[in-house]
Amino acid sequence: MPDELAEKVISILASVKHIPREKITLESSLADLGFDSLDTISMLFELESAFQISIPDEKARGIRNVHEIVSGIRALISEQAAPGTSLESVPSE
Amino acid sequence: MMPQRRIAVTGLGVVCALGTGAAAVWEALRAGRCAIRPMQLLDTSKIGFHNAAEASGYDPAAHFSPSQLDHLDRFAQFALVAAREAVRDSGIEWSPAVRDRTAVVTGSSIGGQSTEDVGFQDVYLRAKTRVHPLTIPRTMANAAASQISMEMGLTGPAFTISTACSSSNHAFAQALALLRSGMADAAIAGGSEAPFSFGLLKAWEAMRVVAPDTCRPFCRDRKGMILGEGGGMLMLEPLDAAKARGARIYAELAGAGMSADAHHLTQPTIEGPARAMRIALSDASLAPEEIGYINAHGTGTPGNDPAETRAIREVFGAVADHIPISSTKSMHGHGLGAAGAIEAVATILAMRAGLLPPTANFTEADPACDLDYIPNTARAAKVGAALSNSFAFGGLNAVIAFRASPV
Repeated sequence: MPDELAEKVISILASVKHIPREKITLESSLADLGFDSLDTISMLFELESAFQISIPDEKARGIRNVHEIVSGIRALISEQAAPGTSLESVPSE
Repeated sequence: MMPQRRIAVTGLGVVCALGTGAAAVWEALRAGRCAIRPMQLLDTSKIGFHNAAEASGYDPAAHFSPSQLDHLDRFAQFALVAAREAVRDSGIEWSPAVRDRTAVVTGSSIGGQSTEDVGFQDVYLRAKTRVHPLTIPRTMANAAASQISMEMGLTGPAFTISTACSSSNHAFAQALALLRSGMADAAIAGGSEAPFSFGLLKAWEAMRVVAPDTCRPFCRDRKGMILGEGGGMLMLEPLDAAKARGARIYAELAGAGMSADAHHLTQPTIEGPARAMRIALSDASLAPEEIGYINAHGTGTPGNDPAETRAIREVFGAVADHIPISSTKSMHGHGLGAAGAIEAVATILAMRAGLLPPTANFTEADPACDLDYIPNTARAAKVGAALSNSFAFGGLNAVIAFRASPV
């Protein structure tokens, strides 16, 4: 089952692509969800804003599925999060 | 010299403050209805003027999905809506061969700068560290041409002309040249503009050319221009090809005249606009006395209206007193890069209906503006040929000439 962070990622992907969130699972690939290059940079922008992180270009290029996004963000949050930042402070849609 | 390929207008599309679609816009034009109102699109409390001609009846969701809207600044939406209507209206059937030979030429003064204006507030005002990644593809001035070509699968020449308030007429002139030369066999041409964002309105305020009340072209008490928005597109095809496929022919795009004042960034000359009109007449093989209507640039600014009047007098001499002239900007506002396209649609519909749209809000003529401006009420007239004037900041002039639909 997706945890809170994964749920947030799925919501953002659904919002960027204007698709129901039920269509997205951790196993979904971005290609299957119909993400093209513009959708992908929009998604990265929204993820960076929501989690207050910076996703480096080289990390962004390798992303293929939702699971990779979630684990990548988890890693970046622990690397980059400013003191006091937590999932609860993540603005909701 | 070989006779020129004659070019027909076979479809019209328009969206502006007067309505969405040629039928709605024409109803308003013939009634002399002015669409200038207090602005609704944004808070004007920190802007020195409050009235504009917004396309208030236009609903983006009625024309585009949320995913499409992510990629479309309002100016590109207007272009697409107008292009769809013009294509549908023309009845042209797209085959791979036709798609390869169809050009798209769009005009816009500022392209998607409203997207940019809003997006840059994030980094300038809100201390954010990034700008939305769709800012560049939405803002680029050629987005309208690209969106039309992508949606319709048109793979011929496609590009954008940006010459401020003459953009659309320059676009028509380029499309005309492409079709006459045989570089394309059909063209969607016109322009669009969406200037209502805070920074841009502050910039217009600083120029001190926007009227606090309304647009009264050629009147003694005129106080300036009123900003408008929208888009217009014409479907253009060689006359012989249009006839061969049994298309309805609205009019002939008979000629274009372009000139530069080479004088001043904002002050017009008499000679620049006069030369553009003379060249348009000559390009269209029209004599001055054949012109039955002029859709004036007629911005309502102190500078334009007397200069345009004198330019018309210089070109037409004594004939000028007998030519009905109107500024439809008095109703749909100044569409800037879309102005020529909206006014081309107005001119063509007027020729077809035999009814000339008025200059609305007309009070008392400025003594320096001493021609027949069709005050306030539309006038029945049989028009064999007409001019539509656009004169841009930067002294770039473009005039197009239409001949009534050949029988």
